[in-house]
Amino acid sequence: MPGVPTHLRFENLCRRFGRLSVLKGVSGAVAPGGMLLVTGPNGSGKSTLLRCLSGLLAADSGTIEYREEEGQLDASERRLRVGVVAPDLAFYAELTVAENLEFFSRLRRVSPARGFAVLERLGLPADRLGGTLSSGMRQRLRWAWALLHSPRLLLLDEPFQNFDAAGERTARELLAEHLAAGGLAVVANPSSLDFDHAAEHLDLGG
Amino acid sequence: MRRNTSTWGAEVAAVFAKEWRCEFRTRYSLNTLALFACTTLVVVSFSLGPLGVSRSQGTALLPVLLWIILLFSVAAGLPRAFVQEEETHTATALRLAATPSALFCGKLLYGLTLVFALEALVTPVYVAMTSFNVESPGLLIAVLAAGGYGLAVGSTLVAAIIAQARSKGTLFSVLAFPVLLPLLVLTVEVTRCAASGSAPDVALPQLLLYDAVVTVAGLMLFPVVWNP
Repeated sequence: MPGVPTHLRFENLCRRFGRLSVLKGVSGAVAPGGMLLVTGPNGSGKSTLLRCLSGLLAADSGTIEYREEEGQLDASERRLRVGVVAPDLAFYAELTVAENLEFFSRLRRVSPARGFAVLERLGLPADRLGGTLSSGMRQRLRWAWALLHSPRLLLLDEPFQNFDAAGERTARELLAEHLAAGGLAVVANPSSLDFDHAAEHLDLGG
Repeated sequence: MRRNTSTWGAEVAAVFAKEWRCEFRTRYSLNTLALFACTTLVVVSFSLGPLGVSRSQGTALLPVLLWIILLFSVAAGLPRAFVQEEETHTATALRLAATPSALFCGKLLYGLTLVFALEALVTPVYVAMTSFNVESPGLLIAVLAAGGYGLAVGSTLVAAIIAQARSKGTLFSVLAFPVLLPLLVLTVEVTRCAASGSAPDVALPQLLLYDAVVTVAGLMLFPVVWNP
């Protein structure tokens, strides 16, 4: 269906880990320029939901429909297209920030310019070794990595954690620019976040 | 979303270059391989004594010892190819950016260069230290190439399978035994032929067939074991 705009829709997603049922029939949808804010206490399944949406984890049941301009993408295609910021995302300690971005830009077959521009805005020196970064600096690198290939869909798990005030302000600006350009975002956070733009809300706490 | 051959090749090259860049900075595998190779070489040399072994004994014994040295050295360094990605949590970023087959081939290429470098250093020293008489040097080079490739691809495949398991060390031994045993039997047989100057008959084609089968199995299995 060419011409159908980018959208993400998931219905009745269920995921168990052994006997523990983490996702129990979760549904939601995001349209271009839209954002879905997923909240809930620790262990409520926010990160699991984002991993399922990214294609990193297979849901036990339910459907995920993600469509870009050229058609619907399955899990393996989605995995290579989305931009992800997550606490468990790590980079090579032996490589500098610039080398990390260059390596992943070669894998994604894109110029590293976009990543370096984000780094500059977030104020992270490109010549620092990955192993010497503070937690706030690692979060900056995650943002630069997630936006490296200009993805249409951003999946952000606790996207502002460890940021100082300036870092959080810049990250919020980057998110706003992404949405203004017609991108989609799913943001997971333990508590609700205030955004300048409207966001659909999905509470996994109940 | 399909990636064409040139982009796939660029991905393989990127993974290969990253592996060597990280290796040159940590020298984990290089040091481990060098340590195991030196230790086993010295042990074998001392145990054979200054007179070495007779020519007939050498043809039977020395090929086995050579491949034991190579296997031990490789087994100490290569199983970490994917384990380290899981332990340092870089595997998630790789899953989100790399085509599985390109990642497998990039890691295999890195392992292959490591094994070939090891063979290039160990074999001449071993031949000199043990007075290993090789009647057919060309066949020895061929078996080192085919056997080295088999060691690299077999180890990379097993390393990928064990990466997400809890008991990685034990599982590597259990899985490596059936995967690498046929390889070692064949490489020892062909190396004996190289030493005695006799024709390898079916052993060399079987070795090449083993390499092809494990490569195809690796390319087919890797996306399944790497992704959910």
